[in-house]
Amino acid sequence: MSTPILQARNVTKSYPGVKALDNVNLTLMPGEIHALLGENGAGKSTLIKYLTGVHQADSGTLLIGGEERNFANPSDSTAAGVGVVHQERNVIREFTVAENIVLSRTPKKCGFIDWKKVNSEAARCLALMDLDIDPGTPISSLSSAQIQLVEIARALYTETKVLLLDEPTASISDAEAAKLFKVIHRLKADGAAILFVSHKLDEVYAHCDTVSVLRDGKTVLSDAALADHPQDEIVNVMVGRSLASLVTPERTVDSTQEPVLELRNVTTTAGHGGISLQVRPGEILGLYGLVGAGRTELAHAILGRERITEGELLVNGHTAKIRSVRDALHEHGIGYVTESRKEEGVFLDQNITRNVAATTWGKLAGPLGVVGAGRERELVAKYIDELSIKVSSQDQLAGQLSGGNQQKVSLAKWLAADPRILIIDEPTIGIDVRTKRSFYELIWGLAEKGLAILLISSDLAEMITLADRIVVMDSFTLAGTVDNTHHYDTMSQDVIRLIHAKALV
Amino acid sequence: MTHAASPAGAEKRRQGINFRRYLTSPQSFLVLIILVLVGVIGAAKPNAFNGAFVVAPLLTSIAIFTIVGLAQMMVLSIGQMNIAVGNMAAFGAMFTGMAFDLWDMPFLVGLLVGLVAGSIIGGLTGWIIARTGVNSFIVTLAMSFALLGLVPTVYSMLSPGSAFTSKPDGMEFLGRGTFLDVCMVGYCGPAAIPVMVVPVLIVVLFVGGLYARTKLGREILLTGANIKAAELSAIPTNKRVVLVHAISGALAAFAGILLATSTGSFTPAIGNEFMLQSFLGPILGGTLLAGGYISVTGTFLGITLALLIRRGLELFGAGVEMLNIFLGLILLVALSAERIRTVRRRRPVEVPAETPPDTPSEKEAIPSGASA
Repeated sequence: MSTPILQARNVTKSYPGVKALDNVNLTLMPGEIHALLGENGAGKSTLIKYLTGVHQADSGTLLIGGEERNFANPSDSTAAGVGVVHQERNVIREFTVAENIVLSRTPKKCGFIDWKKVNSEAARCLALMDLDIDPGTPISSLSSAQIQLVEIARALYTETKVLLLDEPTASISDAEAAKLFKVIHRLKADGAAILFVSHKLDEVYAHCDTVSVLRDGKTVLSDAALADHPQDEIVNVMVGRSLASLVTPERTVDSTQEPVLELRNVTTTAGHGGISLQVRPGEILGLYGLVGAGRTELAHAILGRERITEGELLVNGHTAKIRSVRDALHEHGIGYVTESRKEEGVFLDQNITRNVAATTWGKLAGPLGVVGAGRERELVAKYIDELSIKVSSQDQLAGQLSGGNQQKVSLAKWLAADPRILIIDEPTIGIDVRTKRSFYELIWGLAEKGLAILLISSDLAEMITLADRIVVMDSFTLAGTVDNTHHYDTMSQDVIRLIHAKALV
Repeated sequence: MTHAASPAGAEKRRQGINFRRYLTSPQSFLVLIILVLVGVIGAAKPNAFNGAFVVAPLLTSIAIFTIVGLAQMMVLSIGQMNIAVGNMAAFGAMFTGMAFDLWDMPFLVGLLVGLVAGSIIGGLTGWIIARTGVNSFIVTLAMSFALLGLVPTVYSMLSPGSAFTSKPDGMEFLGRGTFLDVCMVGYCGPAAIPVMVVPVLIVVLFVGGLYARTKLGREILLTGANIKAAELSAIPTNKRVVLVHAISGALAAFAGILLATSTGSFTPAIGNEFMLQSFLGPILGGTLLAGGYISVTGTFLGITLALLIRRGLELFGAGVEMLNIFLGLILLVALSAERIRTVRRRRPVEVPAETPPDTPSEKEAIPSGASA
């Protein structure tokens, strides 16, 4: 057996009141793709931050190529050949793509930056990733998915023996993910070790060789061959007990009811053309499409953040002119749970009370606009309870919650506003199986209460689980509608055929 | 589940946390330094705190500059700044002076005219910022230059000696009166406390109440915390930005008018000293430059500390230069402290994984609906 490239032994790291890592062990062998699995808050990101010198552990040893190492900061780990792409985007937005790629070791000539080399090196890394981006492009003009791919290219700039990828596929399209896996397999063939964190188990089983599972900061499965552990078993290990399979509720939508939200042949300033759709009370309408198909932009058009230039938007059968999110909520009862929870969904530096109550102060305020603190806390407590949000107190800052709980806060804010129509944009990105399940049940429950739900997602399995009808969108037009039969195979074929038929025309 | 703990227990724990937070807050630290300073000055110069000649003027300037600090704090709360506080003060005071001198208005009406003028110029500034999206620093800097030229021009056009000197009834009482002038059933108040303290206290309570209790205050703070998320939470962010700048302008004007009443004349030089001081109070007091967090008490304490140091240095015969070096150092320390605090607040704390939840909604989980 050859020497492991990276070995972490008995790593323990405590934060006040919690053990984030508790005697964690991890071994990465050359030429393997190693899956690191676990629920949100299990300690995966903390482990990666330890391995790259962002955080220091309380105890434990780290061996790189058999030698004991102690990374005091991220540049130490880069120098030792450990490349990383964190879950959060980590780029300097004012810089160009090339400048960001060479950031860790900028090529110099006589003490000045060697711009020729900067651009050629950057171009080389981008080519490795098959990325068609000009190195001189400012990072700020790229989409979040593209930035992520650039970050992966950056990890390839220095000689990388170990590549740590923290949920690299959470927010990129399938086509982009395919490119990523091509690169990963090439690195593997060159003898590098790759640590791959993902909530998408299909991907894990398609590409990984070995697996470790973290639960509550402990390694519950260590360096095992993935082939020996079927998917159901791995999920049970992650969650810590055996779980029943999902029971999809029997759903019926009363089709005699008038639609509460209707688009008639709508053209928008965002570039949509000829969009028509209807959502009835109690219905979950899925809006499916690839990244960049114009789904979020359509939601923004409904909310008045893009203008509707032709066609009609009707709420409750009446033509509606919506100019802002505020209009949408107060005049028409439309709520919108955004796709980027950290940037737009929650106020990270504010407490839970403020976050959840944000949409309700108009209702809570008495004369002179005074909001009763007691009533406010009561209302928030109700939603914390209803959505099972895990918080230590209402005074906790939203930024201190796990991703799944932040998403629940973002949803709670809109439930507290008591809308009749709710647009939910990518509710489960980067969220673990169990929390995902509780979201599904929540959404079903809301529809059961008569809310009309427009669900945007690029996860087809999620769509088929949740939606009553699926509207397929492609390059800012509608490709067709698929009624939900809950037969995954035939439905996914139908949906994919719709997208491709469109592309062929 | 933690949040489901007995209400009494949760309440007690909350109070415990609040108490600890209170002791370690920058505000209680300021109180401590202020007490120490008062002690040191009092011990070294026993006459320092004697009556009307030292304490009353000190309290007068604390009152005026607290308003200046609040004018800046309001704008900081939305993550912006107001470089033009001093000039807005001069602008508002100019209108009050004109009201007295040219239009013979009674005191309170003239005061109101100045406040309205201040809020209009502030509101205009806010409207430009909200409308164009240009950084507040640039817009208020431009506004500051424009007013710097406009105010003296108007003064020299409308008054012979570049000052409005009419004193309607009540101006002297507010500007220079102390509680010694307030007598009831044969007893008069202390000469150490100026009358001005009363309206200033009312304004302080008003601003504090706005942030602590009202819908507007909460919406302003969220606008400062994350303007994009605020807009997506159905908060009218543009209106809040305009409102905040309008109130800031009115507060600046109020401070300018108070200064004029205490010196006895309205001149273009009013507000010259306001700009740097306006940042000192809020920052020392723990208001975040990034927006979303303010402290009214802290602003008051920060101003008090700065002015107390100034008074102390004067008593020991140190010059203005010495004083400025000192204030510069304090600001530097306060800013570093703020930076450290921001970093701490932002640092993600891994939340306890806790005991496995066993609410029914989370009982089962299997990936993807593929098999469903």
